Amino acid sequence: MKSVNQEAVEHDPQQLHEELHDIWGNPKGIKALTIVNHTTLGLRFMVTGMVFFLIGGILAMLVRTQLAMPDQDFMSPDIYNQVTTMHGTVMMFLFAIPMLEGLAIYLIPKMIGARDLVCPRLTSLGYFCYLFGGIILTFSLIIEMAPSSGWFMYTPLSSSEYAPGLGSDFWLLGITFVEISAVSAGVELVVSILRTRTQGMALHKMPLFAWYILAMALMIVIGFPPLILASVLLELERAVGMPFFEIAGGGDPILWQHLFWLFGHPEVYIIFLPAAGIVSTLIPVFAGRPIVGYGWVVFAIIVTGFISFGLWVHHMFTVGIPQLAQAFFSAASMLVAVPTAIQVFVWLATLWLGKPKMKLPMLWVMGFLIIFVCGGLTGVMLALVPFNWQVHDTHFVVAHMHYVLVGGMFFPLIAGLYYWLPLFSGRMPSENLGRWGFWLTFLGFNGTFLIMHWTGLLGMPRRVYTYEAGSGWEIYNLLSSVSSFVLSAGIAMVLLDIALHFRFGKPAKHNPWNADTLEWANSMPPSAYNFISLPNVETRHPLWDDPKLPYTMAEGKHGLAVPVHGRREMWGTDPITGKVREIIHLPGNSWWPLLAAAALAVVCISLLVRVYALAGIFVLIAGVFLLRWSWENGAHPIAAPEAAVAPGDPPLHSRTMDGPGLWAMAVFLLANGSFFLSYLFGWFYLWTVSPEWRMPDTSPLSLPLLAAAGIAIAAGAVVMEKLVRGLRHQCDDRLRVGLYLAGTLGAVQVALTAWVLYSANLSPTQTSHDAVLLVGLIYVLFHGGLAVVLTLMQGLRVGYGYVGTHAPFEPAVVTQLWRYNVVTFLVLVGSIAILPRVVGG
Amino acid sequence: MDAMLKRLHLTHPLHFVVGLTLWCIWFIAVYGGHAVACEAFAPAPEQGVFTLLNGGLLIVSIVTTGLLLLLTWGCYVVAKQHQGRDRFNAVVSAGLYLFSAFSVVFVALPIIGVPPCL
Repeated sequence: MKSVNQEAVEHDPQQLHEELHDIWGNPKGIKALTIVNHTTLGLRFMVTGMVFFLIGGILAMLVRTQLAMPDQDFMSPDIYNQVTTMHGTVMMFLFAIPMLEGLAIYLIPKMIGARDLVCPRLTSLGYFCYLFGGIILTFSLIIEMAPSSGWFMYTPLSSSEYAPGLGSDFWLLGITFVEISAVSAGVELVVSILRTRTQGMALHKMPLFAWYILAMALMIVIGFPPLILASVLLELERAVGMPFFEIAGGGDPILWQHLFWLFGHPEVYIIFLPAAGIVSTLIPVFAGRPIVGYGWVVFAIIVTGFISFGLWVHHMFTVGIPQLAQAFFSAASMLVAVPTAIQVFVWLATLWLGKPKMKLPMLWVMGFLIIFVCGGLTGVMLALVPFNWQVHDTHFVVAHMHYVLVGGMFFPLIAGLYYWLPLFSGRMPSENLGRWGFWLTFLGFNGTFLIMHWTGLLGMPRRVYTYEAGSGWEIYNLLSSVSSFVLSAGIAMVLLDIALHFRFGKPAKHNPWNADTLEWANSMPPSAYNFISLPNVETRHPLWDDPKLPYTMAEGKHGLAVPVHGRREMWGTDPITGKVREIIHLPGNSWWPLLAAAALAVVCISLLVRVYALAGIFVLIAGVFLLRWSWENGAHPIAAPEAAVAPGDPPLHSRTMDGPGLWAMAVFLLANGSFFLSYLFGWFYLWTVSPEWRMPDTSPLSLPLLAAAGIAIAAGAVVMEKLVRGLRHQCDDRLRVGLYLAGTLGAVQVALTAWVLYSANLSPTQTSHDAVLLVGLIYVLFHGGLAVVLTLMQGLRVGYGYVGTHAPFEPAVVTQLWRYNVVTFLVLVGSIAILPRVVGG
Repeated sequence: MDAMLKRLHLTHPLHFVVGLTLWCIWFIAVYGGHAVACEAFAPAPEQGVFTLLNGGLLIVSIVTTGLLLLLTWGCYVVAKQHQGRDRFNAVVSAGLYLFSAFSVVFVALPIIGVPPCL
């Protein structure tokens, strides 16, 4: 029997390259918009992120110019508020996260020995959502209608009473649109890391960078939905008057703060973790030895990922929370220093025991260590409640935040860009220009923000557009502003160096830093398919242990060097052991992601200008595009024209019961569950805390009808489970009829729930109670409707021969949604219809 | 069923997240329970820390710590019986359970010194 490794098979490397290029190569011209390849899209994410970084940087310069001297009128107060809000928003949402996601999208498949991410069309959809959302948001600056309530958009400042224009709407709709991108990337990075590592790469052998990105991606999946929910609720309040955050209507503005910081604090670590991953990758390479304490780093990553979700209230110490609750969050805030300190000591120990070479990337790593440790220490200070009260809303907090985010993200990012530049371009950067860039940035940064700690301690509040002469803050602000321009000069020099190196940089030799990870087994710059053959990797340092590996991979001496079938293929492996399970075949270039993102952009703009009919039409159009996209998957002739594999090779994933789509659905439902739990948190929070909350004497929701709906959805789920069990046992008798039956039961549940909603006669613009009920019922209606459509579509696909015992995979994916719907429906009914009847208002 | 049993084994990487998930559940229960109790039946401030609420929170914390320490010990014992991947998984899990237990104790400490609803 032929081994999956296919060692010792002779191939002509040039012919293999040409054949693989025919399958994986990127089209040119207008068709370049259809590209789904991770290398191209990763670069697009990063280039777009850098454009937004420049916009955010210019806004920062405007802020510092305004604050350089007292009593300046360079900007009006309103414009200043727009500029500061957009600086924070652009840097956080349009630069930091997409940039790091872009780097991960580019690097992860190369590092784990795969040819692409597992959902390439999702990468493309994510990119276009990011691009369109970013353009919509920044367009508000041009028309001087940008959001002006601060990057955290606190209510009631951002509510229609105090922010009557379109500024807040731009933020809420634009950011939500961009977050589709973030969650998409999160889902596929999780599944790619767990299921597409090359054979033999067990979980405990994978590169540390992959661990960091796995944690980051899971944190995005769980951390972003609370903000998506908050944005939806606030937009509903602004657009139609549902009083979620208005005291008079039974809402509470503090609910916004909880939902925002439930996202906002983990986000700091979502930004920090991949940057720390860069540091953990670079230090061993330049120290010339394996990292000290791989297991300790894995431990620290996991701890950070969890503990960072327990700190959100430390942003709210001044809003009037009981002291004991503040003490819980103060302690948790201090705890998160432990895993961070572990990583710092691991990095120092690796440098101590190795022979560090102070090349350009290492200069930025050293800058990171100094700045980030300082930022971490002021973070521990801010975790102490009394100190936090003293400096709340002062420039001290602004300085701390920049030490953490610029030190913790920007410095490692530049280190990583310099390190991987030869991989991107095949050329080396200029050491001289790079060093000038580093020192100007380092000195300029500390000159700007170290001094800002002092202005903060002297009492200067943040978000004020000017200050009076004689306040004692003049000299500090002037020094900060001058230093900020030095910082800008440094960054300009770095960007110049990177731009020039594409033309003038010395050609890089192969693996120029003598790195140990698989991305350096690529050609430089990489081909669209990454590797001609996929190796067996059972070590953490494949290129150190076998320096000839890149050459044998390029000669086709390892797995999957058989392109004759015309499919885009890579290994699907066991998430723990790395043993090969199946061959994953990936979809090719497509217009659907672009079209779906464009339709969603029209929805976003229509909601912004409040043409709701148009928004509704384009929601349907986007739905049609997405359904057509999903139609071409699995056993569809476009996805896999024929299912034959080489003798001895495992089957195609679409012919098994455990393809990556199953995992992607599970991770997506994790995000969805986070959204649902945030909703429940909002319900119970308002019920418990809101001073004007009004619970009606009798619930307006009909329990008998809800019970009937519950029976219908449970029966539909049972039918789906039975069908999937049959497919698992190679039986597809009455599969189509069963799917139609389940779809019909789902439709009954939707109809009954809709009847409950209609008969409840809610007044969602009068009380937050009714508004919350409405949102909850719409949530289950949407999910019920989605399950019906997907199930009926499965029935159709059985008829076309795309689903059956030969391709049993898809009903299992849809069944997961059914399970989720049953659980959420029952929990929702229990929370909003039964519990109020039991405990009363 | 076999797959489920494998996941329960202390060498399975699922245990990387079980301890900290328990910590999260404990944290939500203590913070949420405390918030609801303070809204619904706040004890008189003059009672100080000796209240039913503090007592309840403390008991929940002690039980959670005990469970996490038990799992730490289990992983530690299993780790000594294995080599390679299984040992790595069990050792990291033991560390994570221990840290989770420490986190419960550290965050719960104010319960014995701070009155509940001030």
